Order: sequence, then structure tokens, then C-alpha cells
Amino acid sequence: MKGNNAKGQMRVVEVILASFVIIFALSFVNIFAVTPTSPKYEVTELEKLGYNVLHDLDKQGLLPHFVYSEDWNNLTAALRVSLPMDVYFNLTVYDLNRTQINDAPIFYGDASAFENSKNVASVTYGLVGHDSYNPRILVLQLVRG
Amino acid sequence: MDTGEPVNWGSVDPNWSPEIVKRFGLASASASTFYVLDPDKVQRLVEGNPLGGINYTVVKELLGLEGYEFSFRIIPPFNVTNVDGTKIDDNHSPINETLLEEKVLQYAVKVCYPNGEPIPNAVIEAVVVYTDKSNFAIESPKFTTTDSMGIGRDTINLDFKPSHVTVILRVSVADVATLVVTFGKNPLRFVDINAVGDSIVLTRPKNKTNAEVKLHKIYFFSADGTLVSLYNGTKDDHFNTGEGSPFRLWNKTFPCLKSRNPVVFVINIETVPPKGSGEHGNQEMVIAGPYQNLLGYTVFQYGSSSPPERGAVSLRRSVIISGMTYTAELTLWKESP
Repeated sequence: MKGNNAKGQMRVVEVILASFVIIFALSFVNIFAVTPTSPKYEVTELEKLGYNVLHDLDKQGLLPHFVYSEDWNNLTAALRVSLPMDVYFNLTVYDLNRTQINDAPIFYGDASAFENSKNVASVTYGLVGHDSYNPRILVLQLVRG
Repeated sequence: MDTGEPVNWGSVDPNWSPEIVKRFGLASASASTFYVLDPDKVQRLVEGNPLGGINYTVVKELLGLEGYEFSFRIIPPFNVTNVDGTKIDDNHSPINETLLEEKVLQYAVKVCYPNGEPIPNAVIEAVVVYTDKSNFAIESPKFTTTDSMGIGRDTINLDFKPSHVTVILRVSVADVATLVVTFGKNPLRFVDINAVGDSIVLTRPKNKTNAEVKLHKIYFFSADGTLVSLYNGTKDDHFNTGEGSPFRLWNKTFPCLKSRNPVVFVINIETVPPKGSGEHGNQEMVIAGPYQNLLGYTVFQYGSSSPPERGAVSLRRSVIISGMTYTAELTLWKESP
């Protein structure tokens, strides 16, 4: 009788130990599990987002207004409220000779995110002019923060 | 995102039911692009919409997403809150109520990005509509801008001491994004304001009151900041809100109303308040609605609220609803077995 009791207790101990092993194994697998990422999808999505925002601002007449009046503060604010909070951006405005026009940064986010991220999207958008032909090339870089 | 089928499925009224929706889509049929959403369709996603809504399971089925979960969010481009960061509601008003006694309306709000960072130089336009026992008045729009801490405050002198006040704030950042926020001092709520298609429908609120209501005037505030007089009540525009009254208390169609992008309706009514309400005799009142629960200053969420940290796909797009810009976000993931 005593021997049976001891065996029963050992079974309980074995079950507890086995449970610990299973829980540990599952946690271990979860820590090292790598969810496949798709840089192509991420960049394409950011490019679409960036183009849509520039196009919407252009359609409302705000983009040419801010660019040709060189109102970089309002252009930055307009992009900030139009893009999701976790999307960082850096916009550069050039003329046709590829000379940078904006003398102040049109930027939001963490500079290191642009340096370290593998998924930096870049959108190029053209404006022909406000009152006369005076093209500007806008290069918008986007990265998920 | 397309218009869905029928293209006006959100605007069917009366006799709306989810069965009329053959294909789901939120885009406006009157716009040439899909990023302009139809406010009538978006409103059908609001839980508790008095005129009827469409539930998550039905939408999932219509989208063919069996085996998947989704979350749909409409995120405002910035937030308008009380100065201490609390949400503006009936219990936390940005109005200094003490000064109302001296015929002065003073308000203070904070404008910030969704991460809490203040927005300086946001333009605030305030329109005040108010009544006392026998008077009704609208103050001309008054403008102010937010300071470096994102705080905008203003003081407006009133013609008389108000018993009911509604303040409509139109807040704009860089001319691109606008939010309209309403708040006020309205102790009694006799009707709910609903807008669907070109119609305004007044319905009985959840907490029933027993009052005789005469409708005097209807105005609407559009996303571009104009307050437009829409209707002057006649002797026929009256109803009772008590037991036995129909759920739909009053409705009227105004041709082309929807195309004018109304954001908030302001209605001047005269009531005989119910016994025990603390108010006596006929009262001029002002009520506003209906969008504050949906397109105000909070994130609107529809569907499953907890996407997994991994394995979910998100799509985002800036969209326009009633002339105002928002970010729409659709997150999709596989159902756990």
C-alpha cells in the first residue's frame, strides 16, 4: 500500500515536471520565432501613403501654396496631420537643376530611423508652377517609426 | 474601398436594415474618388445609431472575410481636449460656467497631435448659440489661435444671461485638417438629432422625457465654417416626447442638404419641460448634433479591438468625411484556431 502511494506521488511530480518542460519549450519557441517580414510590401504601402497625401494636398491647392510661398512650417504641419503618427517623413524640395530650395528641414521623426531602417520609401512628386511655369520636384522619404 | 451596393445603402431611410446591403463599401457615390467616405455609411457602423446600424459579423460576411478578423479605425489628425487633457464631455466642459452669470462666455481648449505634442498656431473659430427663457441668439464667429503650448482660449460677450448654450468650435491646422467640436450647457435632452441623406430625423432619446416640443429654427454648420439657416418652423412643427409618442418624433427632407457637407445641426426649440425637471414654464432651448459621437476628437473603432502583435496587416489612407480629413486604418489578421 505504501509502495503504491509513493508511485502515485512520483506520477504527480512527473506530470508537474513535464508541464514545466512544455511551458518552457513553448516560451522558447515564441521568443525565437521569426515572423516573416515583407520589405517589399512595407515600402510599397508607404509609397502609396506618401503619394496619396501629396496628391490630396495638391488637389486641395495647399501643396503649391506652401511650396511656392516657401512656408515650410505650415507644410510640415500639413504633412504631420495628414500622415499617421508612426510614419516619419523627410521632404526635400528641389528646382529643375536639382538645387535644394527649402532652407529649413521639412522633417518629422527620429533621424536614426531613416539611417537604420531597411524599409525607407521614397516618393517623387512634381509641381509645374503656381502662377507661371516654375517646376519644383518634391522628394518625400518615409519610414515607419 | 468602393461605394458598395446599392451605392446609397447608408442613406436608405426609413425601413433601413442590414439585409439591404449587397456589397460593403464606404466610399461616397457622389465623389469621383474612393477616398471621400459617405458619412451616412460611416454612421451605420456606430453602435447604437438610432436609425439602425450594421454589425461586425454581417460586414465580415459581406467582405468575404470568414476565418479572418479585422479592425477598422478612423483616426482624427489631431485632438481637441480640455486644457488638462481630459476629454470634452458633459462632465468636463471647457466653459467657465461662473462667468456665464455675468453674460460672458469664456472657453479654453488644448489642441495636440495624437501623441500629446501641442500644436501651436492652430486656428480656432467659435460660434456661440444660446437661449434664455424667451430669447434665442447667435454670436458672430470669433477667431483665435493656439499658443506654443497648444492652448487656445477666448472670451465672448453675450447679449443676455444664457440658460442653454452650445459652442461650435472649428479647429484647423495648416488649412489642411479641420475638426468640429461642440459642447455647451444643456441640462435637459428632449430629442436626438439624426441626419441621413438629405433628411433630418428627430428621435426619442433613451431617457424618455414627457415634454411638448415646438420646433422654431434649424441651422447647420458646415466643414468650411459657415452657419447656414436651413428652416423656420411652422405651427405644424410640434410633437410630444412622452409615453405613447412614436420613436421618430419629426422628420423633414431638405433637397441637396447632404451635398452641402453639414457637420453639426443646431436646432432651436421651445418646450414645456416635464414636471420634476426643475424648470418651469415655456423654455427656449438649443440642441446640437448628430456627429459628435463619431467624428469628434476621439478614435472611432469598428470591429475586433485587439489585433495580434504579429501576423496582422494594416492599410492606411487619409480620407475625407463631411469635408474633414481623417486617417482610416484597416487591420486584418487570421482568426486564431
